[in-house]
Amino acid sequence: MPIERGLQYLRQMQRVTLKNLPMPLEKTEKWKREHPDENTMKTIMSKKGPISRSALPPYGIDPIQAEGRLPWILTVPKEPYYEGVEEARQYLPISLRTLQRLIDLRRINPARPIDLPVLCNTKLFSIQPDQRQFGLQLTDEGADLFSTPINLEIQWVSSELATAAIERCGGILTTRYFDPVSLSALIDAKKFFERGEPIPRCDTPPLNAIEYYTDPKQRGYLANPDLIREERQRLAQKYGYKLPDASNFSPMFHLRKDPRQIFFGLAPGWLVNLKDQTILKPKDNKFETFYHS
Amino acid sequence: MMIKSSSIAKILRYCSVFRSIQRFESSTTTSFPPESPASPITQQLPLIVSRQIEYPHIRYPPLQAWLETLGQKRDEKLGLVDLHPSIWQTSPRLDILYENIEWQKTYKKIDWAYTPPHHEYPNMRTKPWPQKGTGRARHKSRFGPQWKGGYKVNGPKGPTSFFYVLPKEKRIEGLCTALTVKLHQNDVHIVDSLDLPTHQPTYLQELAEDRFWGPSILFVDDTDIMPHNIMFATAKTEGFTLMPVYGLNVHSMIKHTTLVLTIRALNKIEKKLLHALHSYDTQKDQPAAPDEP
Repeated sequence: MPIERGLQYLRQMQRVTLKNLPMPLEKTEKWKREHPDENTMKTIMSKKGPISRSALPPYGIDPIQAEGRLPWILTVPKEPYYEGVEEARQYLPISLRTLQRLIDLRRINPARPIDLPVLCNTKLFSIQPDQRQFGLQLTDEGADLFSTPINLEIQWVSSELATAAIERCGGILTTRYFDPVSLSALIDAKKFFERGEPIPRCDTPPLNAIEYYTDPKQRGYLANPDLIREERQRLAQKYGYKLPDASNFSPMFHLRKDPRQIFFGLAPGWLVNLKDQTILKPKDNKFETFYHS
Repeated sequence: MMIKSSSIAKILRYCSVFRSIQRFESSTTTSFPPESPASPITQQLPLIVSRQIEYPHIRYPPLQAWLETLGQKRDEKLGLVDLHPSIWQTSPRLDILYENIEWQKTYKKIDWAYTPPHHEYPNMRTKPWPQKGTGRARHKSRFGPQWKGGYKVNGPKGPTSFFYVLPKEKRIEGLCTALTVKLHQNDVHIVDSLDLPTHQPTYLQELAEDRFWGPSILFVDDTDIMPHNIMFATAKTEGFTLMPVYGLNVHSMIKHTTLVLTIRALNKIEKKLLHALHSYDTQKDQPAAPDEP
């Protein structure tokens, strides 16, 4: 509103005439004193300071280079090996060996879909969203000994072999992105529900991650399902195994989350009351349009 | 007793308040003269003049001003006129007005001061007095710089021009700002035409006095061929100026208390300013500065 406020002042002012025009700030004496021009600066430099007294130049300026005017820091070339490291997304590793071990020790139920809260409830992975950690990545260590069909949802898959190892046993893999806000809800779900906040809606992946999560080769959650089916066949032919029939799967294997949904069975915007064992759902049209995917 | 500069400013402000109160009282006490039946307006009132505004503003709706007439002494409104907000509602930058007026004062200024240099003085055949033996200071010539009537070191040489051209953007912004300032201080009046019923200057003087138009008025029309009556009336009155659109400038607008525009002049001004605001010039289109003498 700067224009309207200025015009309000103008209406209360006396009439603007040739006599009462204000001088621009750059032409006032005070401004000229504080911001001397080049010639004034030269006369001052020839009378005062280290240059006129033939003293050493200030710190950081090499007297040999550029007649003592080029800072030393500019003469040395930069080699930014680790440029962009702080902005990169981190994913904590979880190997197939660890996954098989968790299943064998019955810390994870393979009959139900395995997602981030299930893995975090084992208390083995401490994910810190404020350190730019965006979840877990699956590594291919122990690919030969993995032998349980599971419906796994993971944030990143580092190798093609890990995908093949899961699909060889008849499992299903999807890579899924969570933004830091919903990630903080997923890491400790009980603590989140005790806070009494509505379930957040998941944000879309950032620009540099959209390509990964729409790629059927990486089994992205935004990819076309028909293309994913083709890629499963192609990977099976590459590694030489036979895909099991999809009609024999239990209904738990067909469960997928909505792109905006972060918990199985709970829609974004709902509020879980642990004390009264109830769920509060918003009815206002405004909230429904906001949380709608 | 010494009065500080801040207290002077306070007193001036009080004076302006009193002046405005007096003006308000005089406006309430004075009564309009009875309407003369000789000059009735034949058109049906109110006559709303719709104007098509080009380049509509993104944010602000068009402003509105009354359409008045000089044809009768009584202040009767003929209709409403739309004004373009990007000309009549700009940021009131008074420093840009200052720069424009400074430019208008300086660009035609020529310094004719001239002092002859040393070689233009005549050669003296003899010294004023001998070199030795007089007890006075030694001199070769009477035209040295320390002598009265001698030459001046680094004196002013010849006619020097102070010509420069303000950038086009600043000139356009200055015109828009001046129009804005005049409008928001209630000093702009838009009339249908400059036709007067009589050629007597008392008619126009009394009309200006009744409508509180101040001591000096600038009448602007689109052509430089004006009606006979207003030419006669303004020529006999001090402070009234007639001007075509191509002569409109910031200095004259700020100098006169009131600006009276005809509707044809308004159309032309808005068309020209809008074209300037929505087009750009290359460096070639700018007028080149003349060479130094």
